[in-house]
Amino acid sequence: MKLRNGFVLLLAGSLALAALPWLLSDFLLALALSCVMYAGLAVSWSMFCGATNYLSLATAAFFGLGAYVTAWGAGALPYGLAVVAGGLVAAAFAALVGAAVLHLRGAYFAVITFGLGELVRHSITYYEKAYEGTVGRIIAEAPESTTVYWTVLAVAAAAVATALVVRERRLGLALRGIGSDEERAQTLGVNARRAKILAFALSAFFAGALGAAMAVRWTYIDPPTVFNPFIGFQTVLIAMVGGAQTILGPIASAVLFSLLTEFLRLQFPYLFLVILGLLLIVLVLYLPGGIASLFVRGRWRRADA
Amino acid sequence: MSLWFELAASGLITGGIYAVVAIGLNLQYGLMRILNISHGEFLMVGAYLTWLAHTVLQVNPLVFLPVVALVLFLAGVAIYRLCFYRIVSTAPAVEVIEARSLLVGFGLLYLVQNLAYLAWGADLRGYTFLAESVEIAGARFSANRLVVFAFAVGTSLALLAVLRYTLTGKAVRAMMQSPTGAQLVGIDTKVLHPVVFGAGLALAGVAGALLSMVYEISPAMGEPYTVTALIVIVLGGLGSALGSLLGGFLLGVVETFGMHFTSPSLKMVLSYGVLIAVLLARPKGLFAR
Repeated sequence: MKLRNGFVLLLAGSLALAALPWLLSDFLLALALSCVMYAGLAVSWSMFCGATNYLSLATAAFFGLGAYVTAWGAGALPYGLAVVAGGLVAAAFAALVGAAVLHLRGAYFAVITFGLGELVRHSITYYEKAYEGTVGRIIAEAPESTTVYWTVLAVAAAAVATALVVRERRLGLALRGIGSDEERAQTLGVNARRAKILAFALSAFFAGALGAAMAVRWTYIDPPTVFNPFIGFQTVLIAMVGGAQTILGPIASAVLFSLLTEFLRLQFPYLFLVILGLLLIVLVLYLPGGIASLFVRGRWRRADA
Repeated sequence: MSLWFELAASGLITGGIYAVVAIGLNLQYGLMRILNISHGEFLMVGAYLTWLAHTVLQVNPLVFLPVVALVLFLAGVAIYRLCFYRIVSTAPAVEVIEARSLLVGFGLLYLVQNLAYLAWGADLRGYTFLAESVEIAGARFSANRLVVFAFAVGTSLALLAVLRYTLTGKAVRAMMQSPTGAQLVGIDTKVLHPVVFGAGLALAGVAGALLSMVYEISPAMGEPYTVTALIVIVLGGLGSALGSLLGGFLLGVVETFGMHFTSPSLKMVLSYGVLIAVLLARPKGLFAR
């Protein structure tokens, strides 16, 4: 996909989605919101992890940090600013953490990013209990649900746009180089450390901004809700099932997963997760390149995908 | 003085369980690069099997222990054959094996945990077994915790002995050092991989059976143990069973003392703090040479 075509598609898609509040009922709009949120999360996750083959489980940490920025700033920060601030805090955290742990690979990296998320969650829980005397926080003044929807849509669209640009630029090439062979990429003059930290922070920005934007949806937030590891796992699953080396794949599978989740989870909470687990196993075993590999035979297909 | 003794002892008891859980996971990872994130779910299955046997059939949990081990061993061989065999044999690189087996692990986690919810509901279950207390050197322990500790350490040491002194153990160690080299001298991967994977699940099941004698059980009980096991493995070094045993004790003691002197709600902060500190300072594990 050429950059220009990608942008035209993105613009058309976003405009069409932006019209949804006038067309859909409240319930369906909430469903659309969840689709858009997971699309944004999955695309921002693949931006770094899909290209580099690093398996980050820190999405929940970035998301939760963003949400807490909104909660802490409630009253003082206007909503739009809180979303940007949430993204920036998450990005700064990712850059700091990335500088420390991005030299680890494989399972080590997955485990430590997961551990970091939990560490942040438990630290915030402890801080709130010990110094603020609360467990959760109530967000009193929530914006209209349509405002939230448009904000989330804007962040998700920005994530897709960034992913499109990054893919075409030197940074994207560097990331893919790192993904196929990090040492070779370094030998060829890629500053792997800088590229990884930059991309990690960039992908965290969108996760944080989405967290900050979504926080007002809950009206009451506490660490178990916003740092829910399920958000992180779901993101990874969506991206990998869709095909983390592509952009359209994660978007398509985000819609699929969100619809499945919303419809089945309410009626058959346990059976739904059993099916989800089974589906995941079957997909990884028999379609390791993701849904996208069924359609795309493009130039970004990697030798091992 | 007796406070310190009591704390240290209860840390070691917790650590003994951690060690059993972690050794199983570590064997799987060290040998096959399978990071089985659903490890704790099989611990939960072991706990439920024991609970069922005790409440329905009135079987002594300790007598039932070998049955749990055998059932989970067979389940492990079957799961390896159904899921992981394909990944290990088709993946082009070690990193791909790790990523895919992690995802399959998540799938198994959802699958097994929610099947347990469907079967037994979300309620806490439990039974009393050897609950009377015993006094040792001025400190009091309930008898079941001591039994659990003895069995946990016994199992770990038995496994270490198998790894060190038997031909199979030698083959496993050889595979960990060099998969290709081991195959060249005639070690059969097709047999050894499923057996070790099954042994890992059997260990998880035994740990779960032991835990069910002391704590109440629920379908969600496994996950924290998976996380703890990951921490222990990193502490002790990937692929080192002895490291896992020592790492388990270390983490148990650190947690117990830390919780006593700070606050119980900091337990997870403490264990993750230890994990991250160790990963940053000694990525190859505390006991690596």
